[in-house]
Amino acid sequence: MRRGWLPLALMTTLIVVLGGYSEVQHSTFLGKLNLNSLLLETMPLALVSLGQTSALLVGGFDVSVAALMTMCVVTASFTITPTMSGIALVPGALAIVGVGLATGVFNAFLIRVLRLPSIVATLGTLSVLEGASLLLRSFPEGPINTDVTSALTAGVGFVPYAFVGVVLLALLADFWLYRTRAGLALRAVGLDATSSRRLGMPTGRTILIAFVLCSVMASVAGFYLAAEVQIGSPIIGNQALESIAAAVLGGAALSGGKGSFFGSMLAALFLTEIDNVLPLFQQPAEYADMTIGVLILLALVLYQAPELVARARSGRRRLPVAEAQI
Amino acid sequence: MSSPGPVSPDVLAVRGLSKAFGAVQALRDVSVDCRAGEIHALVGENGSGKSTLLGIASGFLAPDEGTVEIAGARLARHSPAAARRLGLGIAYQDYSHVLDLSVAENVYLSVPADERPPYGQMQSWAEETLATFDLDLAVTAATGSLSLAQRQLLEVVKALLTRPKALLLDEPTTALGPEAVEKFHALVLEQAQAGVGIVYVSHRLPEVLAVADRVTVLRDGVSQGTFPASSVSESGIVALMIGRPLEVAFPDRHGPGADTEALLAVAGLRGERFGPIDLTVKKGEILGIAGAEGNGQVQFLRALAGIERSSGSASCDGERLDTRSPLGPLRAGVVLLSGDRRGEALFPVLSVRANATVQVLGRLARLGVVGRRRERSAIGELTGRLRVRMGSAEQPISSLSGGNQQKVSLMRPFLRGDVKVILAEEPTQGVDVGARFDIYDALRAKVDEGIAAVVKSSDPIELAGLCDRVIVMSRGAIVEEIPGEELSERRIVEAIVGSRRSVIAAETRQA
Repeated sequence: MRRGWLPLALMTTLIVVLGGYSEVQHSTFLGKLNLNSLLLETMPLALVSLGQTSALLVGGFDVSVAALMTMCVVTASFTITPTMSGIALVPGALAIVGVGLATGVFNAFLIRVLRLPSIVATLGTLSVLEGASLLLRSFPEGPINTDVTSALTAGVGFVPYAFVGVVLLALLADFWLYRTRAGLALRAVGLDATSSRRLGMPTGRTILIAFVLCSVMASVAGFYLAAEVQIGSPIIGNQALESIAAAVLGGAALSGGKGSFFGSMLAALFLTEIDNVLPLFQQPAEYADMTIGVLILLALVLYQAPELVARARSGRRRLPVAEAQI
Repeated sequence: MSSPGPVSPDVLAVRGLSKAFGAVQALRDVSVDCRAGEIHALVGENGSGKSTLLGIASGFLAPDEGTVEIAGARLARHSPAAARRLGLGIAYQDYSHVLDLSVAENVYLSVPADERPPYGQMQSWAEETLATFDLDLAVTAATGSLSLAQRQLLEVVKALLTRPKALLLDEPTTALGPEAVEKFHALVLEQAQAGVGIVYVSHRLPEVLAVADRVTVLRDGVSQGTFPASSVSESGIVALMIGRPLEVAFPDRHGPGADTEALLAVAGLRGERFGPIDLTVKKGEILGIAGAEGNGQVQFLRALAGIERSSGSASCDGERLDTRSPLGPLRAGVVLLSGDRRGEALFPVLSVRANATVQVLGRLARLGVVGRRRERSAIGELTGRLRVRMGSAEQPISSLSGGNQQKVSLMRPFLRGDVKVILAEEPTQGVDVGARFDIYDALRAKVDEGIAAVVKSSDPIELAGLCDRVIVMSRGAIVEEIPGEELSERRIVEAIVGSRRSVIAAETRQA
């Protein structure tokens, strides 16, 4: 995993240090109630960051995830209404995942078939989804079933079952990524698509699956968000940049092929923790944004330090030599 | 369609292949077949269509016309995966390694999925596998840390691990020394004996003829025929490889006098893919650099321009060149005309005027403001002299033809008063015949003003017609120097393919 541990160690350290400092300053941080709400608040960002990580692993971006999450919240206000109960809720939940699946296939179509750069393709999807959400609900209305909320917030002690589920999912995904042949193939496609294609790997299918996975995870995140806000709000999702930030802080390379699902999960927890402790210090939210920005820059510099040192030693950037084309 | 196959059935048969890239017809109705157990050499000059042929045969490119059969089965879908399944292995000239992954991981990925060991045993398995090919590599090392020769051998081993019935080798020895070539050929012969059909593409005629059973010669995308290797001579093949009519008239050569002073002096310059190189270029001289692609010519030229890293020394007009950055050579009057016009030389969206004057804006400006009129008058006379064909100086340069774009980048050294050496990389690549003549004329006219030029070209006709002297590079070293009175296309091509000589020369150089 060469250097892959650095982001995990850094994120863990930051979570503990920030938590410890908050506890020393205001002894409410480690209270069961606060920890519980911290973990619950982390859920949507953690889920969407796992999805974003899969897009980053194949060298792409998905900026449509936040709009998709909003769309899922709006969808929930139609398909998971308070009048339903028990088994009747299942189709509604599946409909939300269906929205994610459809969005993922659409994104993958734009990227693979129409050959659009992923950032442009998903930017278009973002606008379409935003418009569609506003068409369906022009203002927050349509209450969402609270049974779902209680199911998703159930847990043992201050730890929601769902959070345990996300942690396990992230660990499993990392195991898959770094300890199986399919995971190796995925990383190879992200690192060097041309060589992978030459080796007979299905690069197109890999990229397609990665983007579908990203959207499906975002729709599950949207499901959580719906359970949290409990109303069909058309302007709720804003995690697009945060999910990319979390994936990058967790060790994902923008160039593809490198990253850790567990790292993204930890980074999502850390980013949520910043939001969580800010009221304790009675600081305006703007500080949180600035802190996050500075931290991302610092982390990126730290992760790339070995390359930067090597480059400084070798003197300067090397311009690419024009290669003969076949 | 089952028939009792012949004794040596074709393991690869391409028929009637045609392929065009834009206006360039890379292949025209080419058919080649390779039998089981045969080593089939495929030779031709740079740009004769060899790589395109391999790209199609391996499923990486789709042909415009024609069919590919691998081990008797038609390649229906043009994808590398489909070709592999039918039994085709290929060692790419520029490799198929994922450089960020370890050697073991790369070897693992190259094997068909059902033959891979459990993931956990990958390292020990990769070690054993490489050992059977007598390849001693640290399997945990990143592939990017391997030497070029190691990468090249690993590429061939990876192709063999697919247990191919037909094996394509694209310039497999460019990074190998003489000993490694011998070892590599033993491996190739062993595979052929085991029944693998091998298509061996190489510039190095003596090398490839030493092991080949048959030879197919390509010229300008057209097959010149297939011959038993025992029945053809090296010079006969060279004659088939060249033989284009001389299509342009070259400007008169004056050449430097014997006592003309040296302008550019290079001593012991070495870089990643070349060196050590010693040479001098005199005032009024155009020096050509020839060689098969990928033998360090580009890197050498770029090292002089301060773009590639190098050690050793170079001086211009008696002053030492600071080649640590492109700025040093530029200040000393050494300018590079990049072969990558779109990527490096030009600003495609800017106007012809802006592209021409970008390096001399300081001289054209008064109080920091560039005067349009001064700019126009500066380039006006030059566009006429270099015969740039355009509607107006304000149209974007990307709307000009390749030849006229090149003329505009040539205007820069004319506009600068202080140019001493022009380093030109493929100055007429993608340029039509008429414009070539203008470019040759302009280069010669500029050199006659008392500067020097170094021209790297893959076109031997161009080198023979334009240059006062040509050096031939192989494996990063100068293996031959052809004086002006001996220059001809044939002489240059012979020097390029004559790798026996070059191997000996390289050995003595290393000794």
